[in-house]
Amino acid sequence: MLPLTLLRTAVYHPMLVELKNGETYNGHLISCDNFMNIHLRDVICTSRDGDRFWKIPECYIRGNTIKYLRLPEDVLGLVKEDTNEKPTRSGPPTRRPFRGRGDGGRGGHGGRSAGSGGDHRKGGGGGGRGGHQGSRGGGRGGQQGGQLRQGR
Amino acid sequence: MAQVLDAYVNKSVNVVTADGRIIIGTLRGFDQAINIILDDSHERVFSSTDGVEQVLLGLYIIRGDNVALIGEIDEELDKTIDFSRIRADPLPVAKT
Repeated sequence: MLPLTLLRTAVYHPMLVELKNGETYNGHLISCDNFMNIHLRDVICTSRDGDRFWKIPECYIRGNTIKYLRLPEDVLGLVKEDTNEKPTRSGPPTRRPFRGRGDGGRGGHGGRSAGSGGDHRKGGGGGGRGGHQGSRGGGRGGQQGGQLRQGR
Repeated sequence: MAQVLDAYVNKSVNVVTADGRIIIGTLRGFDQAINIILDDSHERVFSSTDGVEQVLLGLYIIRGDNVALIGEIDEELDKTIDFSRIRADPLPVAKT
């Protein structure tokens, strides 16, 4: 499990952040990013020696100033549920792109059939609907179709 | 390099931080920057006059910048140590 994954699951949970200068920030995590930059709300800031406190409605902490984060113990359990769900979710989307390319292929076929109909421009246009790849395929398809016809 | 740390995942590890703390916990994960997740962690506070004090910390993410050393703990051996009788100075801050 990646530390930043754990941090992402800890969104909306209370946490303690200690900075390299020794100040600590207690608050609820609103958001974080891949640099570990952290957005906290309802914060209590404690000075390095622990004898002064400040109440801050919200603050944004640059990731590289952080020494460590203390999270509630139950956050770890929430990550495990997420990682269990991921494989089932990522299953179908990995197939979908192939179906998408398949459609592009069909665009190519459309180009061929239109090409065999005699109009190259229409064939290119048909391929164009399938996106960039599809339009390229359509163009080639149209030419090949034409060559084949000549061959016959 | 990081494959070495893979061998420590879900094992009890000893982490020495750049500010001289000694934190023991179960390594649950790490990344390229050696940010680490420590579960059920506690700090061992050494003192030259009193025994070692163990402070419960819980779940920690320690930023890689602050990690000086990670070592695997032999739990069998660790159980045999009587920390209340150990006298040692705390570590100074690691120089950067």
